[in-house]
Amino acid sequence: MNRRRFIKDTVLLAALATPFQPWKGIHSDEKTISSIDGTLSADQGLIDTNIHLFPYPFRELKFGNTNNLLTKLKKHNVTEAWAGSFYSLFHKNIDHINSLLAEECRTKGEGMLIPFGTVNPVFPDWEEDLRRCHERYEMPGIRLYPGYHGYTLDNDHFVCLLQEASARNLLIQIAIDIQDERMQHPRVDVEAVDVTPLADLLKDLPSARVQLVNPFRHVRGERLKSMIEETDVRFEISNLDNTAAIELILKGEHPYVSGVPFPAERLLFGSHMPYFPLENGLFKFMESALSQDEAEAIMYRNASEFKEYT
Amino acid sequence: MNKSFAFNPGKFGLPTREELVELRIWDLHYHGINNHETVMKYVNRMGVERVFSLDIGRLWGDSPEAEIVSERDRKLLRENKDHLAGLIRIDPSRVDESLERMREWIQNGPAIGIKYANRNQEDINCSHPNNDPIIELADQLGAVIYIHTWILVGGEPRRIDGGMKTGESTPMDVAELARRFPDVILICGHQGGDWEPGIRAIRAFENVFLEFSGGDPESGAVDFAVQEMGVNRLVWGGHLPSRSYANELSKVFDADLNHEERKKIFGSNLRQIAVPIMRKKGYDV
Repeated sequence: MNRRRFIKDTVLLAALATPFQPWKGIHSDEKTISSIDGTLSADQGLIDTNIHLFPYPFRELKFGNTNNLLTKLKKHNVTEAWAGSFYSLFHKNIDHINSLLAEECRTKGEGMLIPFGTVNPVFPDWEEDLRRCHERYEMPGIRLYPGYHGYTLDNDHFVCLLQEASARNLLIQIAIDIQDERMQHPRVDVEAVDVTPLADLLKDLPSARVQLVNPFRHVRGERLKSMIEETDVRFEISNLDNTAAIELILKGEHPYVSGVPFPAERLLFGSHMPYFPLENGLFKFMESALSQDEAEAIMYRNASEFKEYT
Repeated sequence: MNKSFAFNPGKFGLPTREELVELRIWDLHYHGINNHETVMKYVNRMGVERVFSLDIGRLWGDSPEAEIVSERDRKLLRENKDHLAGLIRIDPSRVDESLERMREWIQNGPAIGIKYANRNQEDINCSHPNNDPIIELADQLGAVIYIHTWILVGGEPRRIDGGMKTGESTPMDVAELARRFPDVILICGHQGGDWEPGIRAIRAFENVFLEFSGGDPESGAVDFAVQEMGVNRLVWGGHLPSRSYANELSKVFDADLNHEERKKIFGSNLRQIAVPIMRKKGYDV
């Protein structure tokens, strides 16, 4: 058959009915545990530690509108979401975008959206931005974007920020990346954050509560091993990939860091909504063999305890 | 500690496993053949009906190791016809050898298609004239044709495709090939990585299908593909084990599609392409 004709014919066929035999389920052994959905209750809901509000600079996102985003989160039993602002990436008037974020969460968040403002420690008067995040907007933490803001983690100003934020008992989220660097806009060349200096920095600052968001594309191998073994840093899971990713990383069998078990209490659910679909984070729990305790810890308990810890 | 897939997807707004099974999902992008039995546990868990290995007979030449791998792959294909099929890799810089392998593995063997990988011996991409005899033979055999593509930003000055590795094809290369072979179905893999220009590059070529595994699950990508290409030209891949079904399923469930449209993307469209040659090979499909 002529293949062009074939394409047209198949479109018609597909529109009518599926013309092939249904699957006989030969490898679907209903007795295997992997074929049975679990019983984990949704009563506790989910805490999503990594969402953003406001427009993404390079694309209109379908859940970029706060109301739509909130509806989507609620549909999947997310009960709390830690929100940064996409305005943080390029705006210079940091306080203004922090105030917008706080206001958006307050007026539209229905108590679910927790604002995480940003601070750029290489800008003048960043200490005042930090103070306002804490005192004026009553934010529980800040989200930093070193790749977009142009500093590395051995920068003296960053070290000062780490100290000041810790003194205020603020959570410190560090965004390792936002987008796969291979598909960045040609006019934007943002490097992923190198976490190497963090292990030594945090030895001198044991009270710091640090979480890496979008970490796993770049924090792998020795860097990840160092973070696991030498720090108490928490990790958000939206870009933890590989088959059965959560199961394998807990067992120390994940290719990102083979041979080093990852403590379950240091993984926190995050979706990277609205840039990623929320379903990406959720399906990870379906795909991994996890105890109920492990699943509950990663889905909400770890985040809750991390935020409340003083 | 009881590790027993404690999560109940239905309680968190996801399809249940049974609902995934009902979608009849065919995974065109499977790299799990080196650890097939283990990876299949998760394929089964996620209700995926059939996987297509892109690594059949991966090692070339007549070394003892290549012989062992080839024999293993033949055995796996023979013994797992209920859920496994496979494509061989070809190399457009080694045309004669590629044609010989196609005759051995497809014409006279168990494989059902060819894959263009992201590199080859002499950095020849899929738009090069070397590919013409390969595509002609694939067409004669009714083989599935899968082409790895990517668009890598870089260069000086930076361009969307300025960072390409030599020998790696772009969707623009696929479009050029499609222009020469308008009656042959070509599957453009990974949606070109950078999917906005990638999808536009192949949009106008109705003989080009899109597979979109392997990249991050960026919201809106499948919506955009359906908007530009229609729902009938999309096929689905899981990219196990280096990617996850979580990553790849979420791309489709992110999109504004009805149940029948999801079924097309997850399997019906690929069945339209692959079933004729699979039946020739004795698959009960």
